[in-house]
Amino acid sequence: MHVRAALIAALAVAGVSGCSVEAVKPWQKGTLARSEMNIEGAKPETRFDEHIYTSREAAAGGASVGGGGCGCN
Amino acid sequence: MKAIVWRQIAAAWFACLSGIASALDAGNQAPSFDIAGRGGDVKLADYRGKLVYVDFWASWCGPCKRSFPWMNQLQARFGQQGLQVVAVNLDAKRQDADQFLSTTPAEFVVGFNPNATVALAYGVKGMPSSVLVGPDGRVLFVHAGFLDSDKARLEEEISRNLPK
Amino acid sequence: MQLKAGRDGDDRNDSAGRAILMAALALPGLIGVAGAAHADSAPEQGSISLNYLDYRDWQPGLDRIKVHTPAIDVLAPVAGVWAVQASLVSDIISGASPRYHTAISGASSMSDHRVAEDVGLTRYFPQGTINAGFAHSGENDYQSRAFSFGGSLSTEDKNTTGHAGIGVSNDTINPVNQVVNDAKKHTLELMLGVTQILTQNDIVQADLGHVIEQGYLSDPYKFLDNRPDERSRNTLLLRWNHHFEGSDGTGRFSYRYYTDTWEIRAHTFAFEYVQPFSQGWTVTPSARYYTQSAASFYFDPDYDPNYGPPVPLGYVFGSVSSPDQRLSAFGAATLGLKVEKAVARDVQISFKFEQYEQRCDWRLFGSGSPGLAPLYARVLQLGIVKTW
Repeated sequence: MHVRAALIAALAVAGVSGCSVEAVKPWQKGTLARSEMNIEGAKPETRFDEHIYTSREAAAGGASVGGGGCGCN
Repeated sequence: MKAIVWRQIAAAWFACLSGIASALDAGNQAPSFDIAGRGGDVKLADYRGKLVYVDFWASWCGPCKRSFPWMNQLQARFGQQGLQVVAVNLDAKRQDADQFLSTTPAEFVVGFNPNATVALAYGVKGMPSSVLVGPDGRVLFVHAGFLDSDKARLEEEISRNLPK
Repeated sequence: MQLKAGRDGDDRNDSAGRAILMAALALPGLIGVAGAAHADSAPEQGSISLNYLDYRDWQPGLDRIKVHTPAIDVLAPVAGVWAVQASLVSDIISGASPRYHTAISGASSMSDHRVAEDVGLTRYFPQGTINAGFAHSGENDYQSRAFSFGGSLSTEDKNTTGHAGIGVSNDTINPVNQVVNDAKKHTLELMLGVTQILTQNDIVQADLGHVIEQGYLSDPYKFLDNRPDERSRNTLLLRWNHHFEGSDGTGRFSYRYYTDTWEIRAHTFAFEYVQPFSQGWTVTPSARYYTQSAASFYFDPDYDPNYGPPVPLGYVFGSVSSPDQRLSAFGAATLGLKVEKAVARDVQISFKFEQYEQRCDWRLFGSGSPGLAPLYARVLQLGIVKTW
């Protein structure tokens, strides 16, 4: 129930705000091309941090798909 | 209430997705431009009668960096037969472009268009983009991106349309 | 009483680790190493990255788990439209873990070595990508094999990209204490997401995840740990990167909402700020706050006066239960600092330090599970990346 509301909100924000301002042109993507602007972080660092958190907390994942089951329970 | 929200979201998305810049088609007159260069102004009109390869680039664009040595070769190989490469820079800051050129030499004409008016006029869709303009000023060919596999086809288009 | 053979289930497997690897493969353009390309086209450069993790955790009166992990990652573009990625990770784990709650007496000690490999392939098309990957992880009591497949599609201006992915894994568990033999666990993961470029300085992404796990889900090294044989999880992850023109720094914000069929609900807030300096230096402070509710079958350390610990009051033999601290209600905070330096053309080194603390009274939206000692962890990461 909450997830659905949050999804609608996320889509609405993404859709509406993306259109209410001028769409970003191809030549304006210099800053977006910087590595720190990539939504995913550096793979090795993300892997280490996520492994630690899934081993010590119940929540897992969210950013990814396909990894094995959790021996971390 | 809910139905209204969904319709508004859908309308916003549709408006977003369909708001694409109008493309330049082959056969249209290539829009003229007059921009600053490395030594004097760069005007498209000055190259009437030549086959002009207009390339849009920026310092942060990886494929652009790869295309420069190839464009140097083009200019060297086909310059005598009437080809002129004109690379239009779209960096907001001139120093970024100068930095790029100091490590990646350009042996062809370079113009600077920081407010991107030429890119808008040409409906640039990706970085880099290139437009082949015939000796009569008409657009022959529009291409976005730069893959190694594109080189052969681009060279063929160019050699087919050389004025001499 | 020290049980040499027993060990904590925590580090047996890298599901989330592999999940992230798969994500790295499933989500296009996920490279993050120096000089990497944006999501919509193949990377311009290849890279090789060597990393080392040094992890240590403890609670008052007991040093717990130590992990040393060297890892190597390689990325190579091929023919301008493919990217191949491969990693090799070696976890050297040792230490002690409570057999129930945070009880120091009877904590089992162990040492283990886990090796994990993964490979992935991405194909770039003008308006989208397709990817596939495989991962394997092996250690003395746990084997895992996973496959993933996914793709993305962008609008013509590439400001909006939708992506989807599916992952399947099969694990085999053979604990050294033999409470089960050749136990199986199957996992199916589904993900759907959208990335939106809002301005020249803003990019956001929303991801919905659904995971179904079936099979042996208990921790064989904990007393009275008998979990359901099924678990479904749902996540909503929202991320936003904002570049500040004034400072030339970038803020990276994320929020994750998590819920599962074991009645655990969790919220994760994370933030980091990337600040470049002259001479190729970059400093990135980071902070993370996490809170979770307890699993429905988690029991507090209220022990039966006749049987004594770990048997809880009113325990019914054979019922679903767990005394695992990780399924209790608590809050946790992390503070971190990363320093990076470009040392040569195309070579960058990095050093990251993080401090983590987990406490029942740091829980938000409810009370934490009583009677558990706080958990502390210290993380060091060293890395070097070379691009070509």
